[in-house]
Amino acid sequence: MSVLSAATRAEVERHRDRYPQARSAVLPSLWALQNQIGHVSPEGMREVSEILGLAPSEVEAVASFYAMYLDRPGGRHHVLVCVNVSCGLRGADDIVAHLERRLGCPSGGTSADGEFTWEHTVECLGACGGAPAMQVDHHFHENLTPERVDAVLEAVRAPSARAGGDRS
Amino acid sequence: MPDTRPVEQPEDGRVGVTVDGRAVRVPKGTLVLDAATQAGVHIPVYCAHPKMDPVAVCRMCLVKLSTSPKLQPACATVVSDGMAVETRAPEVVKEQEGVLEFLLLNHPLDCPVCDRGGECDLQDFTQRYGPPTSRFPITEKVHFNKALRLSDRIELDQERCILCWRCTRYYEEITGEKELVLQQRGVHTLVATFNGQPLTSEFQGNLPEVCPVGALTHVRYRFVSRPWDLQRTASICPECSYGCNLNVDSRDFEIKRFASRDNPLVDDMWLCDRGRYSFPRWNSTDRVRRPLVREARGGVPVAVTLAGAVAAAARQLAAVREERGPGAIAVLGSPESTNEELWLLRRLAREVLGTPHLDHQLERFAGLAPAEHDLGIAETEECRAVVVLGEEPEHRAPVLRLRLFKAETKRGVRVHRLPAGTAPAQAVEAVGTGPGLVGVIADETARAGAAEIAAALAAAGATVKRLTVTRGPNGRGAKDLGVTPGLDAGYRAAAEGMSGREILEAAAAGRVGALVMLNGAALAVDGDDRDLLERALASVAVLVAVESRPGPVAQSATVLIPGHSLMEKLGTITSCEGRVQRVRAALPPATATATETGVLSMLAGALGSTGWPSDPIAVHREIVTAVPAYAQAGNGGRALFRGAPA
Repeated sequence: MSVLSAATRAEVERHRDRYPQARSAVLPSLWALQNQIGHVSPEGMREVSEILGLAPSEVEAVASFYAMYLDRPGGRHHVLVCVNVSCGLRGADDIVAHLERRLGCPSGGTSADGEFTWEHTVECLGACGGAPAMQVDHHFHENLTPERVDAVLEAVRAPSARAGGDRS
Repeated sequence: MPDTRPVEQPEDGRVGVTVDGRAVRVPKGTLVLDAATQAGVHIPVYCAHPKMDPVAVCRMCLVKLSTSPKLQPACATVVSDGMAVETRAPEVVKEQEGVLEFLLLNHPLDCPVCDRGGECDLQDFTQRYGPPTSRFPITEKVHFNKALRLSDRIELDQERCILCWRCTRYYEEITGEKELVLQQRGVHTLVATFNGQPLTSEFQGNLPEVCPVGALTHVRYRFVSRPWDLQRTASICPECSYGCNLNVDSRDFEIKRFASRDNPLVDDMWLCDRGRYSFPRWNSTDRVRRPLVREARGGVPVAVTLAGAVAAAARQLAAVREERGPGAIAVLGSPESTNEELWLLRRLAREVLGTPHLDHQLERFAGLAPAEHDLGIAETEECRAVVVLGEEPEHRAPVLRLRLFKAETKRGVRVHRLPAGTAPAQAVEAVGTGPGLVGVIADETARAGAAEIAAALAAAGATVKRLTVTRGPNGRGAKDLGVTPGLDAGYRAAAEGMSGREILEAAAAGRVGALVMLNGAALAVDGDDRDLLERALASVAVLVAVESRPGPVAQSATVLIPGHSLMEKLGTITSCEGRVQRVRAALPPATATATETGVLSMLAGALGSTGWPSDPIAVHREIVTAVPAYAQAGNGGRALFRGAPA
């Protein structure tokens, strides 16, 4: 049984064909995998390696190097909070404390309802102009306050928000 | 990597450099590290490896160059004319201390229980180049898994790893299997397999030797010995005909490990796991230890002296010859005997007993000719293309696979692996027509097909050389020295006789009066052949056997003389490419009787042919006098029979 959907498979093949060397396509291919199943699983990495014509060990070596590929299943939504200089000066610590309380788990954990995995171990998200900032399923949310965080989480959690289906 | 090649090249293609004031001239393109070695100056390295491309990741080899404002890695910098290299400049010393202090940052202080203690580059270089103390507290070390079983052969201590990348590069450059990679990042980086699955390579045993520290260790050598307690004997791997050089490391009269011994023309310092881990069988104490004589089949075995056994053997053989003629006697050697033993066995059969029925293997090889052993192992790298017939050659001699991978990836040789039954026309189509050296490699079962393919390739314009992977460590020597029916030493035609299988079948049918066997138990390995052997042994009236292992031959012998194993004696064996190499005694013999050459010399004397040499060195002198190819081969060269009768 294949892990990769036909669409993901096609996307990996597209990345592969774009570069002179298949190795160059590892990072975007891993994103395609993570976007489909929420993390980079060993079976998924093996299938990616087969499409790219690489050893599975090479793909896992790349995946493990980068912090933003998740090596185990998380919640339905992925929340990254920036705690770098600009966000830190503008109150990121309060956002982190609020998320910890609100989601009931420490950074790196998943909320009990399985909706959110969150972490603040990422480096600068590049949204200093709107600090403090966080990224939810690859979408930026800026100028955060605890209230605005709640609103974002509720909107993402609401079924109507998920109806679009595109989380990339 | 900085390219410091000079614009002008001296005419001889060499450049002059000084290393710590010592002047040397080296070929252009030489690495600073190699130039220093030539000047007799030691530069410490971890990531650099003589068989791998430079990566310059460990930073241990940084040196001061007159051509560069900053320190440069000696392992990855090419010399230029007039370059002055300093390896003990104050800034180099400071840098080496700094690198070692960092390498030891998270390294455990477990040298006293580490397998590598005493032969560890981290230990040695810390002694020689390291700072006296560390500024990092021992309580703050980052810890990893100390006993990660990577397979049933290899265990990894991730704390001891210094991240030199040698093992990952070994898997990338030498075997191409890419089983080990670096995972994670920064201080958490570790060597691991994909998804934690076990290693499956048949060349894992090289990893602990590639590792400069005690991170990768042999499961079968864990906590076994210190290197200074081992006795090292240079010998040859007894497992197949490829002839890999190795060191036999023994302690208390037991072999503890086989270690590689680099011969760039043969093994290129790699061993296969089958050969490397075959050592326990030589430690077996289940051995034939005393001469025995049965006056008749089924009689009670009587313990005798060696002289008594030899006299009984001569008496029994002479009686058969008297009664039924010399053709009723058959002689079987084996591919596990040395050249010196096989030489005396050949003389015994052809000169003393007068029988043409002499062989060292079961199958008859029609049209056996030296041309099928012409291609050298290292010569494969010079070929335009190499044809490998079937899976057998690389299955029988696994290290051949590494040589072919090197030829393919580093020398651009095209390697065509074709099924054993490939038609000559198809092989020509795969290789293409035209000149150039083309190698054809096959095992002994595919000899005929290989000959046809070689002829077709030659007709298509190529210069073709063949390599046949023989069976047993010395199947090639037995053929060279005439222990084969119809062919005498040097492939000269001799009176036609029975092959090994024909001898056993004739014996089983009662048509053989006496059988002389040297290491005969090695002949029949699988079920059907073993059955044939046992039927032959049950039917023959006289069985004179020199045998080291208990088994059907030892049980049936009318005269049994204990043999010495390949680990217990001196001699030469000839690899499939014709390389004549020495085996040496690594263990004391399990019997007090003479070695095989001595026994054969005594037996010839008892049969009336006196004055034979009895020690292997004297026998070898006789061989090189009689067989010019062996004189040319010397010790470690190839015996070539070009121009010899086909």
